[in-house]
Amino acid sequence: MKICAILRTVPDLVEEIEVIDDEIEPFAYIANERDEHAVEEAVILKERYGGSVDVIGIVDEDSEEEIEEPLAMALAKGADRAIKLTMSNKSYRRIEQAKALAEYFKDKDYDLILTGIQGIDAFTGMLGPMLSVYMELPFTGYVTSVEAEDGTVKVQKELGGGLLGEFRVKLPAILGIVSAEKPLRFVPLAKLRQVMKKAEIEEDELEIPEFEGVQVVKYYEPEKPEIVLLEGEPEEVADKLIEAFKEIGVL
Amino acid sequence: MKDVAVIVEIIESTIQDISYELLGKAKELASQTGGKAVAIAMGNKVDVSSLPCDTVYYIEDDALENFCSLHVKVLSKIVQEVNPKVILAGNTSIGTDLAGHIAVELNIPVASLCNKVSVNENVRATSLAYGGKLLVDLELKERGVILANRGSFTAATEGSPEVKKLSLSDIGIEADNEIEFIDYIKPEEDVDISKFDVLVSVGRGIGGEENIDDAKELAELLGGEISSSRPVVDSEWLPKSRQVGRSGKTVTPNLYLALGISGASEHLEGVKAKNVIAINTDPDAPIFRVSRIGAVIDIFDVIPVLIDKIKEIKD
Amino acid sequence: MELESESEMLETYMERLSEIQDGEKYKQCLQCGTCGGSCPYGIVTKFTPRKMILAVRANIIDELLESGAQWLCTSCYSCSFRCPSQIPLTDGIIPAARELSLLEGNPPEELARALMNTARYGNPFKESPKKRDRWVKEVDFEIKTLADGPADVLFIPECFGAYHRRCKEVTKAMAEIFNRLGTDFAILGRDEKCIGDSNRLSGEFGLFEELVEKNIKAMEKNPFSRIVTIDAHAFHSLRSEYPRFGFSKPVLHHSEFLAENLETLKEMFSELEYIVTYHDSCYVGRRNGIYDAPRDVIRAIPGVEFVEMKRIKENALCCGGGGGGVWLDSFIKEFMKERPAEERVREAANTGADILVTSCILDIPMFEDALKMTGLEGQIVVKDICELVLEAIR
Repeated sequence: MKICAILRTVPDLVEEIEVIDDEIEPFAYIANERDEHAVEEAVILKERYGGSVDVIGIVDEDSEEEIEEPLAMALAKGADRAIKLTMSNKSYRRIEQAKALAEYFKDKDYDLILTGIQGIDAFTGMLGPMLSVYMELPFTGYVTSVEAEDGTVKVQKELGGGLLGEFRVKLPAILGIVSAEKPLRFVPLAKLRQVMKKAEIEEDELEIPEFEGVQVVKYYEPEKPEIVLLEGEPEEVADKLIEAFKEIGVL
Repeated sequence: MKDVAVIVEIIESTIQDISYELLGKAKELASQTGGKAVAIAMGNKVDVSSLPCDTVYYIEDDALENFCSLHVKVLSKIVQEVNPKVILAGNTSIGTDLAGHIAVELNIPVASLCNKVSVNENVRATSLAYGGKLLVDLELKERGVILANRGSFTAATEGSPEVKKLSLSDIGIEADNEIEFIDYIKPEEDVDISKFDVLVSVGRGIGGEENIDDAKELAELLGGEISSSRPVVDSEWLPKSRQVGRSGKTVTPNLYLALGISGASEHLEGVKAKNVIAINTDPDAPIFRVSRIGAVIDIFDVIPVLIDKIKEIKD
Repeated sequence: MELESESEMLETYMERLSEIQDGEKYKQCLQCGTCGGSCPYGIVTKFTPRKMILAVRANIIDELLESGAQWLCTSCYSCSFRCPSQIPLTDGIIPAARELSLLEGNPPEELARALMNTARYGNPFKESPKKRDRWVKEVDFEIKTLADGPADVLFIPECFGAYHRRCKEVTKAMAEIFNRLGTDFAILGRDEKCIGDSNRLSGEFGLFEELVEKNIKAMEKNPFSRIVTIDAHAFHSLRSEYPRFGFSKPVLHHSEFLAENLETLKEMFSELEYIVTYHDSCYVGRRNGIYDAPRDVIRAIPGVEFVEMKRIKENALCCGGGGGGVWLDSFIKEFMKERPAEERVREAANTGADILVTSCILDIPMFEDALKMTGLEGQIVVKDICELVLEAIR
């Protein structure tokens, strides 16, 4: 199988994110966790069925994000090629990214394109379903396992509340991975450094078209509610708890 | 182009709770746009006659009984016919598959991870992106597909809508095999607690195995599951699959109700809930530092009262 | 990128052993079994250190790795301490096997997360490096950082002491003692990274080396005369491992520092009416031979009645937290019904003591958890030695 996994970076939530002039300024970027699962699943499939894994790392032209280390990590885990795609202009709009990627993928002939189901910065839709429309390929997301069966893949898809659905998807296809079949494999630091030193990361540009439609009005921090302490008789406390349950929408 | 449509989520022929929340919001928005609240449901042998909205498009067919690639094709046709201003879908497994697709196909802007939506000339939505650390206000030009998080809107309960029942042939769609449904896989032994919106979590303070049932009942009443801190699992009062924390699971529910959990760092590492409500007799328990609401009271005094009161409400 | 074959595995293993001091000594193993008999996990593991050496000799390392035995070690050092051939079991035989698991990509998940977090953030908790000095805001006196100027004492709280809610109390207590004694001390603050002992003992040698380099660089910012740390593993690493990388300052465990200042402290002590027992932490006691300093300090506090546990000094039972053990909780639980910490707090409670004094930061979460599990919570309280001292001088 010829597989491609898409890898993006997102702001690292462990660190601060500042909002400056209606733009966000993260202190650090990190590989999108769901995308790391997509890479992992791609490597698992290659080990099981043979073939190749290309990993595509997408970055903004003028941001501080470093895709090199996540790409080297993918190589250390068993990917064959790493390609850094730089977007011609910055875009939070998934639809623009999807359109550009569809163009890029045009004659690449991948049997399977895997992407993480949802980035933490995916406030304008998800890449997978959008890409599938432009590429005219089937898509399904929330996938947790993939098995090849001549010309198709049998996937397990989370449906919520612990229920899984099993589906057969015709290849070529795009899948949104929520988690790989196995935990992400560990790469010792010395090994990663070694791969980073000699890794050949191909570079290419991603021509981003412009779409209107959705735009950010503002970014802001949510108000932090102070703790409310309930005291009193059980009756009274229970009533207040019920009020709170209603307020957060669980009753 | 004044209507507000909801993509109804149906799994195993059951309309999912989120659809009622979305319909609740759809009614409110429709009253502002002067349009109708329209439900779009696809399935087989589903009772849609009392959905809380004005109109239901119900496309019924054997082939639509379970989610498959036909659903997106049907939906696309119906949406073109309804031509709504706003389309609401759940930010769920099925919701994102469907809504992401039709948004691009029909060229409607989309906002995801939303917990707020309003309409004027355009459509405004607030997204809980960045794990809720930052909020993003978005403006969608004229129309919008909104993928909403569970628990964002108040559910509407019942209505008597006009039902437009259609078959696949009525709308001219033929079966395909792009994505075929095979089967459901039910959780084998136990549930995956990281998948629930409500967790009632018990700590050592629950005292003993015999008290677990009360907590379970409470979890059920709140539509959630039971989880625990490590000492409860170590004492074998609950299976390992229920453990939250460093050596257990990381959970992200809307509500994490902590009963008799002191809140050791090892436990709190796994609690990434939107709302933590803690009940503990110790006012200095560290769990209160991460809670939105804390009740300093004996869990055994308050739980039975709470259960009775919720039952009353439910009846 | 997995190791292709048995022979490649053996080669990697041997290469690592050759880099560890006295690593070649494994050849002198008499197969006496003292190690397995000393090991807290000896009865549950398929491969005691003796059998691990046998597995290497027989070239069946894959069987060893599959058994998971390499992770059933909290580096308590009992085996190495008692080994008649003085083979570096804790520092060599076991971490070198762990390294193979890391290279295979499948260490226990909890530990893997801690290691990855440490590589990225310099601490295992996935906390921002910028929050490493947050605890400073919780004391009511100024604490300077080494980057701002020279100091006599460089105080190292290490990861647990800097971030862990309960362990931070120990850090603050020690800082307050310095303050009361008028010690000229500084911290590395945000420049401090995980000192790395757990990473080394977990077989993540590459990460350990990177942490050492970063810490040494941070320490070069200004002169200081010696280090004091409340973390027994940091103490050991700084004293015995860092010198290999060119670091050469004296390193004191905080119990040594307290003992050194005992005469001054004595004048400040007021009476405490406690019955106290003391747990010899592995990397203070057995590993570094510090038995008297903490005991002298405890005994010097007026009103305190000091009682000993059954197993003390070089025979003390491990709390189970070292060598990555604090991240192997679930893994170890699969093999053992009762954790060593639970056995140890029972032993402590049997002395009739009100307070179990510890001297390794990992003891605190391990023992407090064990108290919950054994139902001894409330009967006996866990305190670090500096917390007891601070209480006596308040």
